[in-house]
This record gives sequence, structure tokens and C-alpha cells, in this order.
Amino acid sequence: MGGVDDLYREQILEHHRTPHNFGALEQPSVSTDGRNPSCGDLITMQLKLDDAGVITDVAFSGRGCAISQASASLLTDELRGKRADEITELGTPYVTELLGIEVGPARIHCALLGLETTQKAIATWRNKS
Amino acid sequence: MTAWHTPAGQLDPAKVRAAYPILATKPGGQPLHYLDSAATAQRPKRVIDAVAEFLLTANANPHRGAYTLGSMATDAYEAARTRTATFLGVPATELVMLGSATEALNLVARSWGKANLSRGDVVLVTEAEHHANLIPWQQVTREVDADLEFIPVDDVTGEILWDRLDGLLKLRPKIVAIGHVSNVLGSIAPLAQIAPQIHSVGGLLAVDGCQAVANMPVNILETGADFYAFSAHKMGGLFSGGGLWARANLLEAMAPIETGGDMIREVRLRDATFAEGTQRFEAGTPDASGTVALAAACEFLDELGRQQIHDHEVRMLERVLRELPEALPDARILGPKSAKDRAGLVSFSSDLVHAHDLATILDRRGVAIRAGHHCAMPLHEQLELSASARVSVAPYTTDEDLDALFEGLRDARKIFER
Repeated sequence: MGGVDDLYREQILEHHRTPHNFGALEQPSVSTDGRNPSCGDLITMQLKLDDAGVITDVAFSGRGCAISQASASLLTDELRGKRADEITELGTPYVTELLGIEVGPARIHCALLGLETTQKAIATWRNKS
Repeated sequence: MTAWHTPAGQLDPAKVRAAYPILATKPGGQPLHYLDSAATAQRPKRVIDAVAEFLLTANANPHRGAYTLGSMATDAYEAARTRTATFLGVPATELVMLGSATEALNLVARSWGKANLSRGDVVLVTEAEHHANLIPWQQVTREVDADLEFIPVDDVTGEILWDRLDGLLKLRPKIVAIGHVSNVLGSIAPLAQIAPQIHSVGGLLAVDGCQAVANMPVNILETGADFYAFSAHKMGGLFSGGGLWARANLLEAMAPIETGGDMIREVRLRDATFAEGTQRFEAGTPDASGTVALAAACEFLDELGRQQIHDHEVRMLERVLRELPEALPDARILGPKSAKDRAGLVSFSSDLVHAHDLATILDRRGVAIRAGHHCAMPLHEQLELSASARVSVAPYTTDEDLDALFEGLRDARKIFER
């Protein structure tokens, strides 16, 4: 019975209410939209990367459920200083660790949207540069 | 009166529930409060029994075997088609059995549409359509360079603005394709009123009846429609199954879009002639067991009485509309204000609790609702929503189901207001 309370615990709700790094960058290296086609959750992820492929700044905006928005917010707190190729290797276990809880199959797509959009942004950035 | 009704003649959902074994199960350890029948209805045991009986006693490939069992399969399949046609109020000779309503709508767009639409012609749909009644029209109008136009919705409630139809009919649409009941708004399209208007400018009316046929009395011939698509699994039948009714003269003129076995008259190496009537559109081995299941579902819905089903569902929806604002004060209810103008469902959104979060929290109490765009993304865009929550009811929906819903809504409010 504790599952829902754990999922909607204070830290996640706090990130949902006041997401970190929410907004837009002045001159992003790349800006990418991600959408969860089955439910409509939407995230725009903006990254600034230096020549060595290290993320120097990040911002996101979007709309959707608490899980998609909170996990994107939690993720952006971790991105600065990370190399692009580190990000492309991450997956469900990393997001589970960020959220501190197994999300379950019905909602994992919501939880992964921020990471997947970041990975899409990195791929776009690589193609550009 | 039957076993399913109160002495006063109303549907008794507690009695009806007993006909659906799944409603006694406890997925995740909680009693099941299934409020997602608009996505797929639960199956009464007798539908499952009918499939089993066909497969155990009459299974053979219909229209083929020159042996007794083959004839039994053919008879069962054709009797099931006839039973379904009776349920829908149409001649069996005009009822094409297909894999789904999606297939049916694609058949209209790709067969009738491609043959009858050309550059500059207008196809009219509403902004609220299910993707299955939108994308096939996008495809065919793009292919033939015809124009796709829209009956708009109200930006706040999403209600379809039928008073705009008159003006749009000046475009002389060749066909108007609309849902009988909106799968997001729950609103009932005024078919009897708009069909003559559409016909008076030379247009045809194609109707997606998925959300209508199981939730209210529907006699297709009386709706004024020229095409009418329906889905078996929304009626208590199996997932595979649905069909298209079309006026005989339209059906005769239509070319099949799928070819193969069972739909031919004569085949030579370089060409073929096709069977007459509905068989021309039913290439391949027909879904005999699915059609038998559909007929059993129709039989059951008739026994419950579709007026009684509708009345019961309106009572359930009245309660949802009344108590939803108390349980979740910021709920924005989409569609008509009055339950009487609805069939089967209520959708809503909340800035406090996103639909997906709501669905997850309700699931803890065994309450199953739909969260998302319900295959109507353009409508949600129009309403500036990424998703909505949808509660849909059925003959087996009880006050206990709604009690659990409102308890769950209060849980969600508590979580998100803290």
C-alpha cells in the first residue's frame, strides 16, 4: 500500500511544484522537444556544451504529470559538468536512483521522458557539430 | 422484467455485475472498480462461453468446407452477422464484418474516398474526432489534393459547435465524418438534425459509432447516416471485430481495398472478379469466433435493454458531474453540463493533479480510469491540455464504484495540496 505514497513523496512533489532549472537558456547549443506520444507529456530540453562535449548549462520547460516533470527537474540538477557520452549510456536504473523509487511499467515512460529528451538533444548536437 | 432489472424496471447494476466474472477479481489486491469501459468494455461470461462453444463444437473455416462441420461454422458466422445487424437496425446484406472500427473507417476513406474525392473537394470532420476518424481523412485528402475542413469546438468546454455547420455546408462537403458520441466529451451528435442538412448540399454522412452503440438505443437506419462504423470490444465482444454498415448503393459501387481469399468470384492468372455484396470487403478467413462473440454481446445488451442501460449510465454520470467538483474543486469538466446530453463518459482535467498522477493514485483503490489524450490529440491541443482524465460507465457500474472514485480523488487532493 505504500507504493503511491513513496512515489508521491515530498521530494518529488517539491520538484513538481517548483522545478529546478525551469525556463530557457539564452544561447543553448541545442534545444530539443520530447513528447510521450501515448499520454502527451511534453518536455523541451536545452543544453549548453563546451568544445570537449561537457555540459556547462541546462534548462528545461514542459508540461505533464508530476513524475515526468519532477524526474526532468531532478535530472537537470545532475547534468552540469557531465560529458555528453556519459549521458547517452544512462537508462532506467539511473532514473530510478534519481527518483529513489521503482516507478513501475505503467509510468516508467513518464519518468524517462527527461532523460530520453536529453539523449535526443545530445544526438542532435553531435550531428550539428 | 428480467433477472437484470429492479421491480420498477430499472437496470440493477448489482445483478448485472454477476454476469461479468472479471469484476469479482482483485487486481493488485483491491476490489476492481472498472471505470474505463469506453476504452474497452468488460466481457460478460456468456460471450466467453459462446466463443468456447463455437470453438468446441462448430469450428471450421466458414464458406469453404463441403462437410457438415463446415456448414455449421458458416451458419454460425452468418447467423452472428444477422444477429448483429438486427441489433444495429440494418439489413445483414449491408453489414461488412471487419477487424475493427478503425478498419471500417479506413475502408470508407480509402475505398469510397479515393473513388469519389478529387482536387478541391471538401471533407468535413470535427476538431474532436478520434484519430481513427481523422487520420484516414488526412491521408486521402492529401493523396487526391482535396481539402479537409473542421467543425470547431468551444475552446473552454470542448463542446462541438454544431451551429457552425450551416456555414461550413456552404463549402458543399462531399462527406462529413463525425463521431456519434465523442470519446472525450461524451456528447451525442445531433445526427437526425444534421443528416438532412448534409444531404441537402449533396454530402454524405459517415459516423464513428464506437462510443454510441453499447450506451444508448441506436437504430442506424434512423440516424440518417450513410456509413456507420462500430467496434466489437466496446460492446462486450472480443478485441478482434467491428464492422461497417453502408447504404446498399454505396456499398455496391465501392471497390475492395484488401483482396485475397473468400472475396472473389473468379480468379485467373492475370485478373480476378470479386464477390457481390459484403463478402467483397471481407478478404481472408472471416473471424467467425469473434463474430459469434459479438452476436452474444448484442443479445446480452438487448436483454439489459439499451434504453435502460442509457438511463442507468445517465444516473451514474449525473452523480459524477455533481460530486466531482466537491471532491476535486479545480476540476475542469469537458463536454456538456448535463448528464442527459451525454452517453457513457465524463472527462476532466485539473491543474492541481495531472491526469496520469490521478490514475496512479486511483489505482491504489482499484479504481481504473483512463488518463491521456484518448486518441484525440488535436482536441486536447485546442483545449490547451496535454491530457485529461476520463471516467466511463457501463451497465455494471455501481454507486460503490463511484464512492471509490471520489475517495481516490480526495486522496489525490490531499497528496498534492500538502
